[in-house]
Amino acid sequence: MHLSKKALTMALCAVAALGASAQGIMGGHVTGNVQLEGQMSREDTAIGAADVPERMLMNARADILYTNGDFSAGLRFEAYQNPMLGFDAQYKGQGLANYFVAYRTKRLSVTAGNFYEQFGSGLILRAYEDRYLGLDNSLLGLNIQFRPVDGLTIKALAGKQRIYWGYGEGLVRGADAEADLNALIRPLSDSPLHLTVGAGFVSKYEADETILSPADPEQRLNLPLNVGAAAFRLNADYGNWTLQGEYARKGQDPTVMNGYIYRPGEAMTLNMAYAVSGFSASLQAKHVDNMAFKSSRNQSGEMLYINYVPAINKQHSYASLTMYPYATQDIGENGLQAEVTYRLKKGSKLGGKYGTDLRLNGSYIMGLDTTVVGGAGTDGYTAPWFRPGEKYFTEVSLEVERKFNKALRLTATYAYQEFNPVVEGHTSDLYHNHMLIGDLHWRVSKRHSLHFKAEWLGSDSRYDPAEGHTDRRAGDWLMGFVEWSIGTHWFVSASDQYAYNDGVGNYPAVSVGYTAGATRFQLGYGKQREGLLCVGGVCRQVPASNGLTFSLTTSF
Amino acid sequence: MVLAAAAMLFAACDKIAEGEYTTFAGISATWSEGPALQATQRAYVEKYTGPSCINCPLADVTIENAHESLGESLVAVSINHWEGMGMPFAGQPDMRTDDGTAWDKYFGVSSLPSAYINRNTEKRYRSSMEDILAGLQSAVGEQPSVALEVSAEQGAGGGIAVVADIQFEKAVAGQLTLTLALIEDSLRYKQLTPDNGVVDDYVHNHMLRDVMTDLWGADVDAEGRAGERRRAVFSEYNVKNADIKLENCHVVAFVSERGSKRVLNSAQCTITLAAAE
Repeated sequence: MHLSKKALTMALCAVAALGASAQGIMGGHVTGNVQLEGQMSREDTAIGAADVPERMLMNARADILYTNGDFSAGLRFEAYQNPMLGFDAQYKGQGLANYFVAYRTKRLSVTAGNFYEQFGSGLILRAYEDRYLGLDNSLLGLNIQFRPVDGLTIKALAGKQRIYWGYGEGLVRGADAEADLNALIRPLSDSPLHLTVGAGFVSKYEADETILSPADPEQRLNLPLNVGAAAFRLNADYGNWTLQGEYARKGQDPTVMNGYIYRPGEAMTLNMAYAVSGFSASLQAKHVDNMAFKSSRNQSGEMLYINYVPAINKQHSYASLTMYPYATQDIGENGLQAEVTYRLKKGSKLGGKYGTDLRLNGSYIMGLDTTVVGGAGTDGYTAPWFRPGEKYFTEVSLEVERKFNKALRLTATYAYQEFNPVVEGHTSDLYHNHMLIGDLHWRVSKRHSLHFKAEWLGSDSRYDPAEGHTDRRAGDWLMGFVEWSIGTHWFVSASDQYAYNDGVGNYPAVSVGYTAGATRFQLGYGKQREGLLCVGGVCRQVPASNGLTFSLTTSF
Repeated sequence: MVLAAAAMLFAACDKIAEGEYTTFAGISATWSEGPALQATQRAYVEKYTGPSCINCPLADVTIENAHESLGESLVAVSINHWEGMGMPFAGQPDMRTDDGTAWDKYFGVSSLPSAYINRNTEKRYRSSMEDILAGLQSAVGEQPSVALEVSAEQGAGGGIAVVADIQFEKAVAGQLTLTLALIEDSLRYKQLTPDNGVVDDYVHNHMLRDVMTDLWGADVDAEGRAGERRRAVFSEYNVKNADIKLENCHVVAFVSERGSKRVLNSAQCTITLAAAE
């Protein structure tokens, strides 16, 4: 099924019927945002940038939303002519990618068309979009939310998931209920203990097909056509304490993701936190076992995911800390994360005039301790609950942030990582990485400010093609970044990432940008390192490039 | 809510019992004593092709030329490859089939066009397949170990009844299977050509539309003694795809070794259609 002219016509008619001009027609109003990104890249063998036949690659999108009281309708036009590097070539083309009509009141919300939704933390359902990852698994169908009384929300939905310019064959159905017990139960209304509970269920249906058993090609897999997943969650707040937990279980779901095994899946997340002024501490635990849940049993990669397993390691923005990003292993992992933040008081010897923030974070993620019992057409493996297996990722980071005066703020970070390349499909020993980062914001005057970042990454990973090593991240790195902001409109920045000590690559880049109201234009030129771009543990591969990039975003 | 969610999980899911995760990819058939047959050795050619494969039309020409040379002794089946060049153009019919894809993957087809004679995977014919005629002539010239004939008739309700007769010309050891396939000719859809051109209404013949007996057919209920005759009746096959034009279809049957998949003999027949009301 393709997103067709028919769909475009339907959506346009829905909008046009209610008022086609920009603002104020029939009491409604139109809002929107537009984004255009372009890229020109040329071959650069030094960094592994391939020749790109097209002179210019372009991703563009425009979201238009019409709202009139309780009614709204929207559509999104997307164009990938051709897709920028790192975006799947199957996006090539242009057309209407998303359309919906919705009616929303305090008690009832109905959306027909494309919609995004999440049950709990997403362990059994998260239909979402991340334009930077090139992901959009929106559901095309019907989504109803009903709030019969204050404190109770019931959701029900059914649809098919978007994949590039079409929709997957699998049908997704789901229901979820969440209850705020303090609002529902009168004796609890004044209780210091605030409880919210929720439960959801999602089922997918796929038609039968012939998949032969690799162990015995005479045999075909007896496939479950209806696969369900259910989850229960609890949020509890008491004073300065917070406890959040969710447990999910999935039925037999032999897919390409798990090698067509029949072992049921399960996942658990637990988050406990304590916070007072100037101090907070949190502890997270996660267990995931065979929990890749897709609406197509033969779809590998990141498309057609029904669910989302949240990342448990700290999400960073610094280049050195994201050099070896950890992608969530929804096929199986155990993880722990702890974080403590402490503010050294204002005016104290250590805290200085404005106080100093300390953040200590540690995460430890490991695989499952599995015993293989067979391949496709079997239960696959056994794995004792939460027993640690192979180490995947460890990180300890200490961040110190201090404001020296009204103009100067410094953040210094040290981090240590152990990264197992097996999570990216490579076999190698653990990489041991040390990172040091200095991040300085300096407000030179009312109109001018400077932002400096200096980073060092020391790693025992090595790049040696002769030895069969192909990871261009390897080696030690020095990174620098400076940005000059002029007034509220202009900025100019320059950066470089330089590998040494058996690493290869030098990635200088410059950029200039202009912002006026809701419109922003940015032009960049430089080299882009190949690697994984990750958001919340979900990643896409970005190839190396050398050339010009530009972007224009605006909203109205 | 927990109980409701749990109840829905168990009620709305398919649970496959342990030990039943896999099943034989074929069907069972009822066999009886069959009639005497005139033994004819035919050559079965299984060709993997695709609309974006520029050399596939050359292979089509080769197979058609072989048809002219060998006549009814050639039984041809074309299967669109499951990925890449076998995928349909946008807006064009998808001629890939679930069973064809399973065969494709089983035989490890990696380039187009590719063809096997009697599923002898030791020799794969590629590109324009100009050397395939010699292979087909050699296959036709072999002494048959099994004679096979097939007939098909559409019933009043629309279902197709197929009768297959097997006669062992010599003793055959090992388990044999009988596979029936629905084949359609004169399909017209877009095809790339060797000159990098595109023919919008290219005529595709011998296209596999369905394996009527499931992937690996039905076990032949026989001891494999010379002179043994067996008949299987498949009484009610219903076409699963409304786009299939039965008037352009025929049934292909082949007997093969269950283990090696090597085809011993094959046959084909038109379908006698029920009179239109």
